[in-house]
Amino acid sequence: MGPLSVNEIISSNTNFFLAFLIGIGFGFVLESSGFSSSRKLAGVFYGYDTVVLKVFFTAAITAMLGLLFFSLFGWVDLSLVYVNPTFWHSAISGGVIMGAGFIIGGFCPGTSVCGAAIGKIDALVFVGGLFLGIFIFGEGYPLWEDFYKAGFAGFPKLNEVLGISQGILALLIVLMALAMFWVGEWAEQKFPREEY
Amino acid sequence: MNRFKDSKHLQNIKHLQNIKPRVLLAMALIPLALVIAAVPENTTKPYKLTIEEVVGEITDGAQYFTADQIADLIIQKDPSIQLIDVRPKDEFETYHLPGALNIPISDLLSDEWLETLDQDVRTNVFYSNGTVQSNQAWIICTQRGFKNNYVLQGGLNYWAETILNPQRPDQTAPNDEFAKYDFRKAMNGALGGGTLEAQSTPASSAGTMPEVAKKPKKKKAAGGC
Repeated sequence: MGPLSVNEIISSNTNFFLAFLIGIGFGFVLESSGFSSSRKLAGVFYGYDTVVLKVFFTAAITAMLGLLFFSLFGWVDLSLVYVNPTFWHSAISGGVIMGAGFIIGGFCPGTSVCGAAIGKIDALVFVGGLFLGIFIFGEGYPLWEDFYKAGFAGFPKLNEVLGISQGILALLIVLMALAMFWVGEWAEQKFPREEY
Repeated sequence: MNRFKDSKHLQNIKHLQNIKPRVLLAMALIPLALVIAAVPENTTKPYKLTIEEVVGEITDGAQYFTADQIADLIIQKDPSIQLIDVRPKDEFETYHLPGALNIPISDLLSDEWLETLDQDVRTNVFYSNGTVQSNQAWIICTQRGFKNNYVLQGGLNYWAETILNPQRPDQTAPNDEFAKYDFRKAMNGALGGGTLEAQSTPASSAGTMPEVAKKPKKKKAAGGC
């Protein structure tokens, strides 16, 4: 049955429309959970607030289990779900740049748009920087094209690399996430902030 | 007695409310994860196709990449694409597409090429002059259970007609046709220009990047953050 748009059960326009509705819902929940405050995201790094980590990881493991159960029931064909290609150089340097940007700016691309939507000046500056970065990357593409495409490793999945089944890996990730939440809550008590 | 029962019930509810969300989450997710770890993966869609499915794929044309798509991928230097020329060696040496490997049909079963054909990293696209040989190669590989194999639609003949010598559409042709023509002309320029007589030049000598009329192959649902 699924994925709906690949199997042409819904058109790609309907797909975009659904994405639009889901995006609005996502943004609404982010904003109402206080994610439009840059302190929330910076808090993960300094340890005084790990809500962002908990929310996003809960979403990830819920979606992971949901997809695996859907696949088990034959509702979605996982072989048709796109897996991003891995380019080692880009992945590692991109991770470092993004991570540094999250800590310095206090936003991730999603929360910065939330903050900008309610008129936060720091979020507006962050979004400006985001577009500046996109512009520089696009215009300077020939300069870093070789680096960008270096270290191509195909479309690997973690469970294939480790040689275990999807289900076992899912169980390990759930346990890892729960352990991380425990460490996060420990950190919140260890590094509290009075002014926060 | 009844009142006592009620208060106990209330206590239970209070007790539940005191449980941390993390523990509640663990209580819900760990059993689910244990179930999913214990059941076998759903393999009702194996890669090896039945003969009916092969016929279905051929009639659907699902194994084809169009010439425009391939030209676009060559110019983008997409590292996930591997072009495979299934014509004899001498024809390959006369002309071949940039970056193509030469695996004549007769060599298709040799161990030398097994790693190229049976892998899940790159997308192989077979081509020959028409599409007969490339489709033969595709069927052989598909029946051996190899995935990620495709065929260049129309083969080199169609490639020569459309990408190397694009024909200007009639004045009365719809705008789509003109857009396609402009795209192909730009492709031709970026691929080094010229006709079949001119030796193919590697894509790295590409001139100006043409404006690509994006029509992505509907193969997979893309995702992102």
